[in-house]
Amino acid sequence: MEEPDWHSPATIEEAVALKARLGDTATFLAGGTFTAILVANGLIRPHAFIHLARVPGLDRIEIGDDLRLGAMVTHRRVEGSSEIRQSSWASVANCFAQVASPRIRNQATVGGVLCDADYASDPPTLLVALGARVRLRSPSGEREVMLSDFIQGHYETALGADELLVDLVVPRPPRHVTYVKFRSRSSEDRPCVGVAVAAEVDGARRCQSLRVVVGAVSGRPQEFPRACAIALGDRITIEVATEIGHQYSELASTLSDMRGSAAYRKRLIAVLVRRSLETLAA
Amino acid sequence: MTLDPRITGRFEYGQDQQVEGMLHARILRSPHAHAKVLSINTSEVPQHVVTLTRDDVADLEPLYGPMVKDQPIVARDRVLHVGDAVAAVAAGTPREAEEAIALIEVEYEEMPAVFDPVDATGDAAPLLHDGIEIPAELRPDGRNMCHRFRLQSGLGQDGFERADVVVEDTFAVAAAAHVAMEPHATLAYWEAGRLHVITGTQTPFNVRRDLAALFRLSEEMIRIVVAPMGGSFGAKTFMRLEPVAAALARKARRPVRAVLTRAEEFITINRHPARFHIRLGATRDGTFVAKSVDAWWNTGAYADCGPSVCTKGGYAAIGPYRIPNVNVDSRCVYTHLPPAGAFRGYAATQGVWASERMTDLMADRLGIDPLTLRLRNLLRNGDSFATGEVMHDARFADCLRKAAEAVDWGGGRKNKGLAVMLKGMQTPSRTGVALEINAGGHIVLRSATTDMGQRPETAQRNLAAEALGLSPDLVTVGSNDTDLVPFDTRTTSSRSTFMMSNAIREAANDLRRKIAQRFEVAPEDLVLSDEGAGVAGSPDLRRPLTDLTGLRGDGTFVTPGGLDPDTGQGIASSHWHQAAASAEVSVDPETGVTSITRLHTAVYAGSVVDRPGAELQNEGSTIFGIGTARFEGIVFEDGQVTNGNLSDYEIPSILDVPDFTYDLLEGGEHSHGLGEMAVPVVPAAIGNAVAAAGHPVRNLPITAESVLDASLVR
Repeated sequence: MEEPDWHSPATIEEAVALKARLGDTATFLAGGTFTAILVANGLIRPHAFIHLARVPGLDRIEIGDDLRLGAMVTHRRVEGSSEIRQSSWASVANCFAQVASPRIRNQATVGGVLCDADYASDPPTLLVALGARVRLRSPSGEREVMLSDFIQGHYETALGADELLVDLVVPRPPRHVTYVKFRSRSSEDRPCVGVAVAAEVDGARRCQSLRVVVGAVSGRPQEFPRACAIALGDRITIEVATEIGHQYSELASTLSDMRGSAAYRKRLIAVLVRRSLETLAA
Repeated sequence: MTLDPRITGRFEYGQDQQVEGMLHARILRSPHAHAKVLSINTSEVPQHVVTLTRDDVADLEPLYGPMVKDQPIVARDRVLHVGDAVAAVAAGTPREAEEAIALIEVEYEEMPAVFDPVDATGDAAPLLHDGIEIPAELRPDGRNMCHRFRLQSGLGQDGFERADVVVEDTFAVAAAAHVAMEPHATLAYWEAGRLHVITGTQTPFNVRRDLAALFRLSEEMIRIVVAPMGGSFGAKTFMRLEPVAAALARKARRPVRAVLTRAEEFITINRHPARFHIRLGATRDGTFVAKSVDAWWNTGAYADCGPSVCTKGGYAAIGPYRIPNVNVDSRCVYTHLPPAGAFRGYAATQGVWASERMTDLMADRLGIDPLTLRLRNLLRNGDSFATGEVMHDARFADCLRKAAEAVDWGGGRKNKGLAVMLKGMQTPSRTGVALEINAGGHIVLRSATTDMGQRPETAQRNLAAEALGLSPDLVTVGSNDTDLVPFDTRTTSSRSTFMMSNAIREAANDLRRKIAQRFEVAPEDLVLSDEGAGVAGSPDLRRPLTDLTGLRGDGTFVTPGGLDPDTGQGIASSHWHQAAASAEVSVDPETGVTSITRLHTAVYAGSVVDRPGAELQNEGSTIFGIGTARFEGIVFEDGQVTNGNLSDYEIPSILDVPDFTYDLLEGGEHSHGLGEMAVPVVPAAIGNAVAAAGHPVRNLPITAESVLDASLVR
């Protein structure tokens, strides 16, 4: 067995050039919390790692009209950033704070959690509800992709073999944002179900827009705009919250794993979507 | 200030042991639950890497095992579980060893496998072991069964005719992993025909005996040095890596170290999955009159100590109750799962779960408060347990009352649960210990008690110092080396403090006798202090301990006993481990998530020798119980562990541990072990609390989903 090559590019250009040259035989390495498990279990055997730690600019946090988080920003930094916490994006900090344990969050990165596309993750669910997009760079240029399109299924993304996710762009969220992480086992567990709600309400608490996303129950975050439509234009009542929860439960595809069966997840979605919307009804 | 090397990282655990020229071992494991091994081809492995296959051990005893000789060092003609050892290598680096096993080609022919113990006893089930010899004291009774423990007292099953009310139900407990921080680790080397093994084990003398049998050597030709363990919890009892490391070292003529990976831990030794059907009969006023326990223990591919587990769990499921008519039928069955063995809470965890859930079901049926019902039936001094043993030093009721008070049982019992247990100690059992005066005038304690993180040396130094009337600073604990320490059965079943306290007292008396002989006085006239030894009333005769170098006192303590496997009568335990727990929970009725709002354990400790150590052990034991209660369970699919890592198999994190309280009840003449008393009662108390909240769960772990499934109101 050959030792994998280790590359530490000094610029984004160098990093994507390397990736373009090495293609699928190389793996970008950010915090390594996920990649290390895959390598240790023999699920991937990359010939080369392209370590991103020395690439300048990937660890930036910028707040303007959008929130921009560089691919190498750790979960812990998002969680602990007072700038983010005091901004309209506080929900993003709260969501990253719920991932695993401090030890993992010190290492795991924003780019990592999005590119891994592990279904049992927290941030993608909220970020899809917030209409976030990712900026991808390759030697031939740059493109932006909606996160909802970027994550395609179990461990599958729209990332090209020569592309690097450089940052995450989160538009200014509506007034009411919640993310509920439901754990069925330990407090450090991955989510059994995640429910994100992003809603705009007017002065009379009438619902102007509503996005509800359920995550961690199948290959990618799921959203059913038609089910949400019944909430628009009026105050959300307990009945409406219950009905949307019921519809999400019916429509969502769910899987079984160590954290719960597909049927259990269906029951939970009804409960957790309803509860999330009840806070709007209150 | 000298920092504890455990804190600085300098402490040398089993996996840190090394000697010059050492090679690293890796084991090639079966991907199949049951298959014929048609051929093994090692020709692609580089010449300098040592390989070990069945041909290399053909001159040895073919099989080993602590109770039944049924396990080969590496597979002979068949593999019996996913992860069964097929071949092994030793190479210069762990990486090289890892790469080498990938070069071994094995041709298998898959065979049908069986994973359920009841199915395994069916006529059509594939037979795991053919032609093995089951020792005379065991009672195999059916296909794939290695032991059947039966107990009958009074009228047995016929006793139910005297009951006004009979309740019955079925309960199950999942397999669990020990998850010691340090994996199994062994270093073996041969020197002038003598085998030296430095290993993390709770059972050095069992390992010595069993290696001697396997390698056809006198026990004197084998030396076991116990490396301190980074946790064991029962996993490091009996032989694990010792045979393969010793066989590789023999072939390589070099020292070989073997260390398991985390994934290998899950397929090496686990806790027995068990299933119970229990019937309990009582009169209308709540007096128990009859109980039957029908139990099935899945011991996996090798018996290990399964027959003992099925015995101890069989009578633990009777509970600490006065029941005139009892019938126990407890079977230990081979299946194609990885082997199961000793696990903290040894068999009581499974038995107490079933028994104490059943006690609450009876309380429900009779409309009697579960505390009242238990107190009415608990064993008191002078009562006979179902084994015929007469109770003495019974503290069950004291423990239970303490537990009930801690959750304000009298203030209402909504969402609250109780549990109480009796657990046996390893019986019969023997412990030797020696106290030697060394050249520096220190007392060297020669004890085989192994250190797996519980730090037995503190308790044992205190005991020796007290018995001799010296300060603990003058007592040092010698190396744990079978060449140096007297025989001790093993460090298991929370026996060490009890057994050692008695043996150390003997050894101290013996040493005093020998010192008194030097002074030519009677032992009662001897005055022993940190300043030296002297004679009462004659201060000028005092001599420093350095003048007594070489004197040695020996002490032995033996507990006789044992149960008749056919009737269950005899001596199950020289003394009883006694404990109770109480819990209060809140259950989210829509998600099934349980929060523990109060948790208390009350453990009978006898006299406490090392207070901080005792407290830490009971706290750890409680947290173990929480893990078993809430989510620890190994999941198998076609014999394959599907959650063999610490992301999919979860243990409690610090945030999962609620504030909990406990009492260590003191009294009596003896020190009692308490290293595992909370493990069995905590899950049962939590289960009873969840049931009291409207979710009568029957299985461990109590997952959120199973709580919803058990809801009385949907």
